[in-house]
Amino acid sequence: MSKPPALLSVENLAISTVQDPRILINDVTFEIHEGEAVGVVGESGSGKTLTALSVLGLLPRGVAVTEGAIKYNGVDLNSLQSEKMRRLRGSEISMVYQDPMTALNPVMKLGKQLLEVIESHEEIKSNSDERVRAALREVGIPDVVRAMESYPHEFSGGMRQRVMIAMALILSPKLLIADEPTTALDVTIQQQILSLVAEERRKRNMSMLWITHDLGVVANLVDRLIVMYAGRIVESGTVKEIFTDPQHPYTYGLLASLPTTADRDRRRLTSIAGVPQKPWLVGESCSFAPRCFKVQPECKSSIPQLVGRLEKSVACFHPVGSPL
Amino acid sequence: MTLNIENVEKQYKILATGTLINALNGISISLEEGQTLGIVGESGCGKSTLARVVSGLEKATVGKVRWQGNQIADKAKNHLRPTRSRVQLVFQDPYSSLDPRQQIGAAISEVLTVHKLVVGSRVAARVEELLSIVGLTTDLRHRYPHQLSGGQRQRVSIARALASEPDLLILDEPVSALDVSVRAEVMNLLIDLRAKFGLTYIFISHDLAMVRYISDVIAVMYLGKIVEFGSWDQIIERPMHPYTRALIAAMPDHSIIGNPETLAKTLQGEVPDPAHLPTGCAFHARCPIAVPVCTTRLPILLEVTPKHYVACPEVGE
Repeated sequence: MSKPPALLSVENLAISTVQDPRILINDVTFEIHEGEAVGVVGESGSGKTLTALSVLGLLPRGVAVTEGAIKYNGVDLNSLQSEKMRRLRGSEISMVYQDPMTALNPVMKLGKQLLEVIESHEEIKSNSDERVRAALREVGIPDVVRAMESYPHEFSGGMRQRVMIAMALILSPKLLIADEPTTALDVTIQQQILSLVAEERRKRNMSMLWITHDLGVVANLVDRLIVMYAGRIVESGTVKEIFTDPQHPYTYGLLASLPTTADRDRRRLTSIAGVPQKPWLVGESCSFAPRCFKVQPECKSSIPQLVGRLEKSVACFHPVGSPL
Repeated sequence: MTLNIENVEKQYKILATGTLINALNGISISLEEGQTLGIVGESGCGKSTLARVVSGLEKATVGKVRWQGNQIADKAKNHLRPTRSRVQLVFQDPYSSLDPRQQIGAAISEVLTVHKLVVGSRVAARVEELLSIVGLTTDLRHRYPHQLSGGQRQRVSIARALASEPDLLILDEPVSALDVSVRAEVMNLLIDLRAKFGLTYIFISHDLAMVRYISDVIAVMYLGKIVEFGSWDQIIERPMHPYTRALIAAMPDHSIIGNPETLAKTLQGEVPDPAHLPTGCAFHARCPIAVPVCTTRLPILLEVTPKHYVACPEVGE
């Protein structure tokens, strides 16, 4: 039986700066199916946020898609007119950002900001107020009538993030993109937000693309993981495959560098020496080669391609499990 | 006992409203030389205020901090700098604690000359020595902070703190701003330095996983108070206070995977505003085991089992 077509499919995506072209993302390919949650893990500069922004056509000024296609339900988003793209944002694909204080308008009441989302997408404005109240109630805002009359600064970080989620979900999108929405929050509040998102996703059978630098955050939240390093996907697989049997030396090192509950003996943490290379300086080699414990001569003279099925693949000449 | 924090209180006044905030409320901790005290808590719990009071950057409103029997000088007021500072502080963000227009070699030598720690002819050699102690090559001394990676910058901050040969290093979220793969290296460095120089650490973090990794004894803070204090085993293996238990449960843990139910076990509600503290136990509104009397009764930090202190009358014997 063949699989149904993907809800989102990103094919050979490359992104670079417009002037003085510097490649930032190269050859990124992945799919998200209906109801599926995919996590993208990477450190600063790995390209995870740019990948997310490119899906919504929201790349920062001076940065552009140079190659590849981003297809949503079979439609190439790159060639979509800006008005059609605008209609898609929020109603089909919506996004939650890391810092709600910069994503929300500080001088507009929250109720009005949520109403705007509805009004900018729908011609007929029936019981919009009630829909906003319901959306806020849904994400656990206690006094919704008062909340609608409040400004963002009157809310705590956790409550602001709840409002952002209400705003992202109000038009029932099929795909939610989240860019580290819990990174700035305290641990117990982070847990509340993760639990809320997991619950909403289950109820709505919504697909998710969750960007994070923290493997622990996505362990119980997503189905599949994509690991990015220096602008490329280095490994992808189910959460279980990535956590229990990492194949790329970078994924392996990342997992080993985390202190775990089992750390009674307080071993030295396994660390990855050095710092990530800039994607545009990598050239014809594996970007991880300078930091890799399994590096071989060919790693420094050619680029390893993702090998394997689309769901489970690794870009490495000498994966962790292979003999040296 | 080497470090004695005795009943420290710190109040701040909100100028606009005149409201007093008790950032620290009756903190007492004793720590042996060579031990590492981990302090964990969420934003607003007072952990950074405690770091500033213990290091002498701010003066306690009430109470004393003694290091090897001597009261720690108030650096904010004391213009007669001691020849060497026995207590040093490393901050979370080396980007804001290093002067962006000063080469890192100069940033370190400044400490040496201001405190007259070595004679002029020895300064350059000592700077090179300090750089190599923290695992940096000496050719980096002519770089500016922006030319270094986050991990390298934090190493410079540590080298600067070590320049005055301190006994006690207070580390306030030293790895929180670093990338995951770099964190492990800095943590390993801290563990090596502790062994090499016999340092005593106070390691402050919101990240219980890091506190758990490096500490011998752990204090859990909530809204200006210690709610639980004990050895590593007591806090990690046998936590008693409901807040400590919640923190441990909320730790992102990649040893449990693919189980969305684990996300649901979490505290309800948020940390109350320190300017309007609830009556009774400050934790009662979020507490899973609260009883009516918790809204009026002030919990006292009591020794429940030897050297294991818990501020909750509803747990233990």
